[in-house]
Amino acid sequence: MDKNLEKMSALYDGELSQNEMQEIITEMDSDRSLRNAFYKFGVISELMQRHSDQQNSKISYLQNYYRKFNPLITNLATAAATVLLTLIVLHQFDDDRFTVNKETSFQLSSAISSDQAKVQLLNADQNIMDHMIQIMQSNQSNKSQQLSKNWIPVGFSVSPNNPNQYSNGKNNLFFHLENKQLGIKNVKYFKANNNWIYLIPLKDGRLLTAYGDIPPSIADQMIQSIYQRN
Amino acid sequence: MGVSKGDEMLINEIKAGNKMAFEALVLKYTPKLMSVLTGYTKSKDHAEELCQTTFFKVWQKINTFKGESSLFTWIYRIGINLAKNDFASRFSKNSMITERLDQDRHDFPEYRSPETELIAAESESKIMQFIQSLDEDTKIAFTLREIEGRAYDEIAKILNCPIGTVRSRIFRARQLILEFMNQENIFNG
Repeated sequence: MDKNLEKMSALYDGELSQNEMQEIITEMDSDRSLRNAFYKFGVISELMQRHSDQQNSKISYLQNYYRKFNPLITNLATAAATVLLTLIVLHQFDDDRFTVNKETSFQLSSAISSDQAKVQLLNADQNIMDHMIQIMQSNQSNKSQQLSKNWIPVGFSVSPNNPNQYSNGKNNLFFHLENKQLGIKNVKYFKANNNWIYLIPLKDGRLLTAYGDIPPSIADQMIQSIYQRN
Repeated sequence: MGVSKGDEMLINEIKAGNKMAFEALVLKYTPKLMSVLTGYTKSKDHAEELCQTTFFKVWQKINTFKGESSLFTWIYRIGINLAKNDFASRFSKNSMITERLDQDRHDFPEYRSPETELIAAESESKIMQFIQSLDEDTKIAFTLREIEGRAYDEIAKILNCPIGTVRSRIFRARQLILEFMNQENIFNG
């Protein structure tokens, strides 16, 4: 049964061979539960896409709003802002492992529901947004920063192509160091698909940003280590 | 965006007269079409009627589908045009469209129409929360497929895993969501 359901799932995605498709369609003809499941795959898909569309409309609203208040930003910055807004709106803050400040997330939710709150959000988070955009652009840069070796997770080594990029052969991590903390008091992190961005305020008043496909399970140790040695 | 490989195979089967392939197409696209038509007509009953007529048109015209757009875009256009015509005909008291369609229905396959039950907003929210709670690997593969429309081979490259793993993760997500829907007694039609 599960094998047939798995084939139905692949059929739904159009990922079966011609022969497999013919076989499973024949099975469907005589098995009502398979037909029901196939229909429900469509229901789930429609639901996910509709919710995604709703989120995207929020993103484009915020993006337009952001552009209106920043008419001089470049296309690249606009693209980065879109990515950032997507990160924030589609993927809420994770708060199960760190002492995450939920304020930004709350403000975003509020921003979507009232004009006054929209202004508050964009004023409050303007610095963070600008910072994130700058980081996304600076990841393309090879300019070396003064990163402490203590910050680098065990098993990661510097990339020969970019002094700010570290890899353990499987995961990649970029670092960006800022001399101001943008009002961030606790570690914050965002995620999008398989990438995470960690904003880590250091005790000396600087802000370390780590960006890459490093899940919280690895980042947790890294952040603990940074705080112990910083 | 043109027609996907999977839909192309389904269309070829339908063109070859495979009625079960047509039923699969109906099952696959009814939820999306019902969502659009219910939004347009503000009436579930009316949307259901238009949905059936749309698929009748799809059956009639499948040989004219050239694959220049996605299959659902094509179905969507038929559905919306029917809805607009129907809306106009209500004002002009002209029921010609429905009558003309009925006359041609003799070769239309007797497919088993799904229960087009609508999910309550509260249940939608529960399902979305459940999806958020899926383990990260499963959720990412499923989201890349459902939201971004990525093919399995693309997802495999992104996640650096075999295609078979992608297939089983996406299936796992669907299976868990179905189980959740059953447990919560959501949409057991």
